[in-house]
Amino acid sequence: MLRRRARIAQGIALAITSVVALAGCGAPGSGSDTGGGTTTATDGGSATSGSIQWWSWTPDNDLAEREIAAFNQQYPDIKVTYKKVPNADYTAVLRPALASDSGPDVFTMAAAGTVGPFDVFSSYAADLTPKVSELLGADWKSKVYGAGVTSFSKDDQLKAMPWAKVAAGNMWINRGLFDKYDVKVPTNLAEWRQACDTFRSNGLGCFKEGIGASGFDVDTFHSIVNSIEPGLYQQAATDKIKWTDPRLVQAWSTFAQLQSDKILDAGGVGVQQYPDVNNAFLSGKVPMVQMGSWYSQYATVNSLTAALQGAGVPADTPKVTIAPVAFPDVAGKGNPSTLFADPDAAQAVNAKSKSLNAATTFALWLGGTTQGQQTVANNVDSLPTLAGVAPAWSDIALVDQQVQEPLLKDLYAKAADATEPRSNNLPAARFQAISDANQAVLGGSKTPEEAAADVQSAFDANPVGS
Amino acid sequence: MTRAATGGSALAAGAGLPPSGVTVGGAEVGLSAETPAPPRPAGPWYRQMAGLPWILPALVVSVGVLYYCIGYTGFISTLKWDGASPQADRVGAGNYVRMVNDPIFWRALQHTAVFFLVTFAVQVLLGMTFAVILHSQVRLRVLYKVLVFVPVVIAPATTAPVFRQVYAPDGQLNAVLGFLGLPDTNAWLANGTTAMLVVMTVQIWQSTGINFVLYYAAMSQIDTEILEAARLDGASNLRVVGSIIWPGVRGTTLAIAILTAIGSLKTFDIPFLITTGGPSYSTEFLGTQIYRVSVALSQVGYGAALSIVLLVLALLMAVALNLAGKERGASRA
Amino acid sequence: MLELRSRRSRLLVQLLVTLLVAPFVFPLVAMVQGSLAGAGWGNYRTVLSLDLLPRFFLNSALIAAGVIVIVLACTLTAAFGFSKLPLRGREVFFWLLLACLTLPEVVLLAPLFATVTAAGAYNTLWAVIIPVAALQIPFAVLLARNFVDGIPTELVEAARVDGASTWRAFVHVVAPLTKPIVAAVVVLVFISSWNGYLFPLLFLQTPEQQTITLVPQFFVGRYNNDQTKVLAAAVVTALPVIIAYVCFQRFFERGLAAGALK
Repeated sequence: MLRRRARIAQGIALAITSVVALAGCGAPGSGSDTGGGTTTATDGGSATSGSIQWWSWTPDNDLAEREIAAFNQQYPDIKVTYKKVPNADYTAVLRPALASDSGPDVFTMAAAGTVGPFDVFSSYAADLTPKVSELLGADWKSKVYGAGVTSFSKDDQLKAMPWAKVAAGNMWINRGLFDKYDVKVPTNLAEWRQACDTFRSNGLGCFKEGIGASGFDVDTFHSIVNSIEPGLYQQAATDKIKWTDPRLVQAWSTFAQLQSDKILDAGGVGVQQYPDVNNAFLSGKVPMVQMGSWYSQYATVNSLTAALQGAGVPADTPKVTIAPVAFPDVAGKGNPSTLFADPDAAQAVNAKSKSLNAATTFALWLGGTTQGQQTVANNVDSLPTLAGVAPAWSDIALVDQQVQEPLLKDLYAKAADATEPRSNNLPAARFQAISDANQAVLGGSKTPEEAAADVQSAFDANPVGS
Repeated sequence: MTRAATGGSALAAGAGLPPSGVTVGGAEVGLSAETPAPPRPAGPWYRQMAGLPWILPALVVSVGVLYYCIGYTGFISTLKWDGASPQADRVGAGNYVRMVNDPIFWRALQHTAVFFLVTFAVQVLLGMTFAVILHSQVRLRVLYKVLVFVPVVIAPATTAPVFRQVYAPDGQLNAVLGFLGLPDTNAWLANGTTAMLVVMTVQIWQSTGINFVLYYAAMSQIDTEILEAARLDGASNLRVVGSIIWPGVRGTTLAIAILTAIGSLKTFDIPFLITTGGPSYSTEFLGTQIYRVSVALSQVGYGAALSIVLLVLALLMAVALNLAGKERGASRA
Repeated sequence: MLELRSRRSRLLVQLLVTLLVAPFVFPLVAMVQGSLAGAGWGNYRTVLSLDLLPRFFLNSALIAAGVIVIVLACTLTAAFGFSKLPLRGREVFFWLLLACLTLPEVVLLAPLFATVTAAGAYNTLWAVIIPVAALQIPFAVLLARNFVDGIPTELVEAARVDGASTWRAFVHVVAPLTKPIVAAVVVLVFISSWNGYLFPLLFLQTPEQQTITLVPQFFVGRYNNDQTKVLAAAVVTALPVIIAYVCFQRFFERGLAAGALK
C-alpha cells in the first residue's frame, strides 16, 4: 500500500517537473520572433532584414507560402511566419493580441463586416502614407484601387495597403449541365422558371443558395433591387430612402417568389453557402449559384481538384465547367445586371511592432508591387488592387481553356470597372439586419412589409459613425 | 447481517451507504438526510475555519485567475465599446436596458429553458439506464462503455459538419426514414422547431456519456449488501432501482442538474456550428448571442452585459437547484 | 446492480442496451466514413505527415498533464475541506468558486490575455495550463465534493480517534476512497484540456508551441474546408483520449474490486 502510494507520489512529482521543464523550454519562442536583426526597438529596425509575424484569415496556407517565397526572392533576409486564423475566430483573437505588446507585425484587415473590420482595428495600424509615396511615387493614389484607398484611410492617413478586391452580382452556371439538357441561359423570370422546370424534371436542383448564415443572400437581394431600379440599393444603404419604400418591399416579394416559383431550391434557410451549396454545385447536383469573382478559382484545375477532394467526392468525378453569367432581369424592366465591388482586404502594420520597417516592406510588397499583386492575381480567388495587374491566363490551367478564358477575362474587365460598393459601406449590424430580413421572408416568418420595417428600425438604431 | 428495515442509520454508518430514504417491502425506512455537515465546533475562529487552508489552493487558482475577468467584464458592460479603439462611451446601465428590450434576448432565454429541461431529463434517464445496466452482468460491457463515451471525447467543431450532413434534406436521416416508408424530404434545419430538436439531439448525443460516467462512479458507492437485503425481501429490479439506486445517487443528480443548467446557459458550439442560431434566431442561445454580439458585431459592451446576466442567472439556478435538492433530502427523512 | 436470473431477462437487457447505444454509434460511423472519403487513407497520410505533428501531440499532452495535476491537487483538498471540515460560510465560498464556471470562453479572451501577458507567460504552455485549470476546478470540485459527501464522516472520525492528524486522515482514509471520482475527473478534465481550442489559438504564437487541436485549421480554407482531412485530424486527435479512457476504466474497476469501502 505504502509502496504504491510512494510510486504515485513519485509519478506526480515527475509529471510536475517535466511539465515545468518542457513548458519552460517553450519560452524562448516569444523572444526570437520579434527581435529581428537590430537591437534598437525604437527605430523600427531594418527595412530589409528581420523576422516578422503575419496574421490573417486569408489566403490559405499553401498559397501564403507561395507568396512568401516570391517575397523572399526580392528580400531574402526578411523571415515571414504566417499564422492563419479561421474567419470565425479572427476578430476574437486579434483584439487581445493587438492590445498587447506581443501582437503580430503585419495583420490583414477587411473594409467592413465581421472578420477583422477596419473600423475596429484601424487604431492599431501604423500610417503607411510616407512609405507608399516612396514606393509608388507622389501619384500613388491613381495607381491603387480607389475605393480601397478610401476604405482603408483615416484622417488622410493610409492605414492599410489595399491588397485584394472582390466583385459580386453575377451568377455561375454549370455549363455542362446547360448543354446537356439544351437549356438556354435565362435572361428574365419566365425563362428562369422554364430552365428550372427542365432541370428539376431531370432530378437536379436549380438555383441553390444558403439564406441567412453567411450573408450571400444579400448579394441576391442586391441584384434584385438593382433589377427593379439601378442604384436603388445604394440609396437605401446610405439612408437616402427608407427600406419601407414599396420598391424595396417589392424586391423582397420577388425574392420570395423565386422560392415559390421553384427557381430557388427549397429549404434555403437551413442550408449554408459553404460547404453545402458549394459542394452541391461543384459536384454537379445543382446547375446555378450566385457567387462572385472569387469563385473564378474553381475554373482552374488545381483549385477545383482540391475542392472536390475536400468535399469527399470520388476522384473520378468529372470536373464541372463553370461559367459566369449575368443575373437575370427578374423585374422585367430591362435594367442591365451590374457588378458591385468592394475592397476585400488590406495589409496593415502594427504600430507597436518592433520590426516596423521590415513589416512595412512586406505589407507594401503584397499590395503595392507588381510581383506581389501578380501572385494574388494568379491565385484567381481575389482581384488585384494595383492598376495594370491581371492574371496571366495563359499560364493558368483551366478546366476548359477555350470556353472559360474569354468569359473570365470579360468578368475581370467588368469587375475592374465596377464602382458600386457591395457591402463595405454597411457596418456589421446593418448588414445583419438585411440578412435577417431575407431569412425571415424566405423562411415564412415575416411578410415583406414587416421585414422591411425591421430593417429600417435596425438602420435607425445603428447610425453610421456610432 | 441485519435486515435493512431496522436501524437504517446504523447500517448506513457501518456499511458506507450514502444515507437516503429507503423503501423496502413497502415500509418507508427513514434515514437521516445527506451526510450532515460536521458540527461546528465552538471556540476560536481557526477551529471554525479548519477547512479554509484546504480550499485555499482551489480558490487561489480559480478565483485568482478568473475574478479579474469577472470584474473586467462587469466594468466593460457599462461601456459602449468595440473592444479595440481607444475611445469608449460610458453608458452606465444602457446595455442592460437594451437587453431588456431586446426580443432576441428573451427568445434566447426561452430556448435555454426548454433546452435545459429536455436535455437534462433525457440525459439523466439515459445515463442512469446505461450505468445501471453496465454495472450488471451484461456481455461486452467495456465496448458499450467506450461507445457511449466516445461522443464526449470528440470536439463539437468536428462533429457539427457531420451532423449538418446527416440532417440535410438529402442526408442520412431522411434516407433512413425513406427506407422505413416515412416522408423523407424534410429540411430539418430549415424549420425553427425541428432545428431546435436537432440541436437538443446532438447535445444529448454529446453529453450522455458524461452523465453515464458520473452515475457509474456514484453507483459504485452503493453497498451491495443493501441491494442483497432488498432482494431477499423480494424487491424486483425496478423496485431496487427506484428505491435504492435512484435516491442513492441523488447527490450526483443534483450536481448534474447544476452543471447542465450552467452548460445550457453557456451553450455555444452546437447551435453555432449547426444552425448558427437560426433560422431567424429560433435556435439562438445566450452563448451564441454573446459571441455574435461581441465578435461579429464588435459590440463588446453589450456582450459583456449579456455575460454578467448569464453569470447571475447561472448562480441563481445553482442556488435554487441546491435548495430544491436539500429540501427533497430533508423531506425523505 | 441488476439481478438477471433468467436467460430471457439477460437477453432482453442485452438487447435493450444495444438498441440504446446504436444511435450513439451512428454519427461516429459517419465521421469515420467522412474521413475516408475522397482520398481515403491518403487523408490520414496527409494529416500524419504534417511537419510538427509529434510536437503538437507533445504540447497537448503536456498541457493536459499540467492541468490534471493542478486540478486534482486543488480539487481533492477542496472537496475534503468543503465536505468534511468545519468552515464558516462554506456555501459562500462554494458559490464564489462556482461563479468561475459561468463565463463563456469568448468573453474571457481579452482579460485573460491581459493577465497572461502581464505574467510574462505569453507563448508558453503555462498560458494555456493555468486558465484551463482555473476553469476546470469549480466543475471538478462540484463533483468531488458530492462524492466525498458520500464517504461516511464516521470513518474520518475513527481515524482521528486513533490519533491521526487531519492530513493523515485525508491521505490514508479519504483519498483512497475517492478512486472512482478521481478516475471520472481525470478523464473529463483530460478531455477538456486536450480539446481546448480557443486558448491555444490565442496564447500560443509559434508553431512549436501549438497543440493538436490547431491542426484542422491547416485544412480550413477561407471559403471551403477540406472536410475529409479535418475529420481525419479529428479521429487522430480523439484516439489518445479514447485509449486513456479505456485504461482508466481498468484502473477504476480495480479500485472497486479492492473493496475500498470495507
